[in-house]
Amino acid sequence: MKSPFPSRTKKSEAANGAIPDENGAADEVKVSRKEKLAGHKDLAVHHGKEGGIDTAGWVDSRTNATGIFTAMMSRHVPKGTNWFYTLGSATMFIFAMQAITGVFLSMYYTPSATQAYASITHMTNDVFLGEFVRGLHKWGSSLMIILIFLHMARTFFFGAYKYPRELNWVIGVVLLVLTMVMGLTGYLLPFDQRSFWATIVANNITASGPVVGPYLADFLRAGPDFSATTLSRFYALHMMVVPGLIGSLIGAHLFLVVKLGTTAPPWVKVARPKVARRTETVEAGVATADDTEVDVASASTSGAVAAQVEPEVTESPVDPATDEEAAPEDGEETPS
Amino acid sequence: MSDSKNKNLSAEEPPRTKLAEAQPRGYFEGESMTRRKVFTVASQALGGLAGAAVVLPAIGFALAPVFSRGQERWETVGKVADFNQETYRSVVFTEITGIGEVGKTTAYVRQGSEKYDEDPAEFIAISTRCAHLGCPVRFVQAAANFICPCHGGVYDFVGKRIGGPPVRPLDRFQTRIEAGEVQLGPRYSVTNQLKAVRVRDPGQFTGGIWEYLYPPRPTTFPPPSN
Repeated sequence: MKSPFPSRTKKSEAANGAIPDENGAADEVKVSRKEKLAGHKDLAVHHGKEGGIDTAGWVDSRTNATGIFTAMMSRHVPKGTNWFYTLGSATMFIFAMQAITGVFLSMYYTPSATQAYASITHMTNDVFLGEFVRGLHKWGSSLMIILIFLHMARTFFFGAYKYPRELNWVIGVVLLVLTMVMGLTGYLLPFDQRSFWATIVANNITASGPVVGPYLADFLRAGPDFSATTLSRFYALHMMVVPGLIGSLIGAHLFLVVKLGTTAPPWVKVARPKVARRTETVEAGVATADDTEVDVASASTSGAVAAQVEPEVTESPVDPATDEEAAPEDGEETPS
Repeated sequence: MSDSKNKNLSAEEPPRTKLAEAQPRGYFEGESMTRRKVFTVASQALGGLAGAAVVLPAIGFALAPVFSRGQERWETVGKVADFNQETYRSVVFTEITGIGEVGKTTAYVRQGSEKYDEDPAEFIAISTRCAHLGCPVRFVQAAANFICPCHGGVYDFVGKRIGGPPVRPLDRFQTRIEAGEVQLGPRYSVTNQLKAVRVRDPGQFTGGIWEYLYPPRPTTFPPPSN
């Protein structure tokens, strides 16, 4: 039987061109088994864990799950990390709660204009714990918006959106917008008077955007007016499209958090070791500075100063008879 | 990648076949692409085709309602004798089918009056959909005004805006008389001079440059000619 893990000896044999026959292989199996085990151990050590015989070890040696988990959960965080840093995780927890309760709510909900309201009242009043699960989903939606804004405020006031984390800020803003889309599309689903008219108003606000607004509103409503398709369209957006987008963007958001690390609060002064000082040249070659942040600041200011001190020289001299920017025409006297 | 590196490599390795060594490496005579490049491009193109075959129909499926117009519907709302020139009478009728009570809407109907340059043989049907954000307006008999409960929009007797945030007069419905009964048809919007235009959503101005900033949509019916 061929081993799925070719040992080094076998490799070298293959390189030499020696192909052992069945009898010959029997002798070599004893030798190569040791090597094979050593290879296993190498593999396990490489992944940061001794190769276990148990299922968890078997999976881990193939996926490096422990390594990934360690990299995510026991990474270094700066001094001064405090409770404000948990707001992002709190938002993600609420999203998970919304996803779970939402899936279970969909077991009782009927996305039809004639039956939606009845199914909502049924699940709220008759189903065991229905009021509680629907309540979690309803209040969780408001809580998620609140937590997102608190998380955003923390990021803003701690300066955590700056280089190199701008992309994560952008992803965060997209997540905020998508969460609001969730709020908008979910609001219609109970299909009572309030949710119906709120959706009418929201659609009309969408439609009042110039040029594209009318078409966008038609897309949302699936037609010129609120119709039977509108509710199922909102339901599909609320159930499938937007949660999928949010989930994948949360993945990207987390990846960047793990990759880039978190920032210290602004009141924690980091002592920079002298060895780590970097010298960077600005694009225009105007200034050099030791510190990156100082670098950026001086680059922008010196650029602005240079623009003021040395204004660009225009091609033609001033001619009071013509426009300021227009070049003197042919045949006209140019002042010498 | 670089030519010098390839040349160095080919100089060190003895040629494995009798074929002439391709210059640069990987290219044979008359070829403008390496085989690797050809297969890369071909497999990516095939993948793109397969993706487009799935995504494009899905997008078309989702966007189709933006381009299709529904069936024109006419609803009987009462006899000709039920309406007069002096005041409005509210009628409830189904505007959208298939969604039960939600598809019903209210209109205020009266006979045309010379006082407002209208043909007495025609009927005027004013929609209750506020031109601000779509709340339902109410005709207040004492003031002879339409008043919106949401944000305080006020319209005069013929539906022109006289106060509050609305951006244009109230919408109207096309009317016709069939066998002595008044029927209401598709909705249309009007400009501030009460000229009929294609229906716009609430919040959209009508007339002048606004006809281009809020273009008429393919889903709407042409306005009555007058």
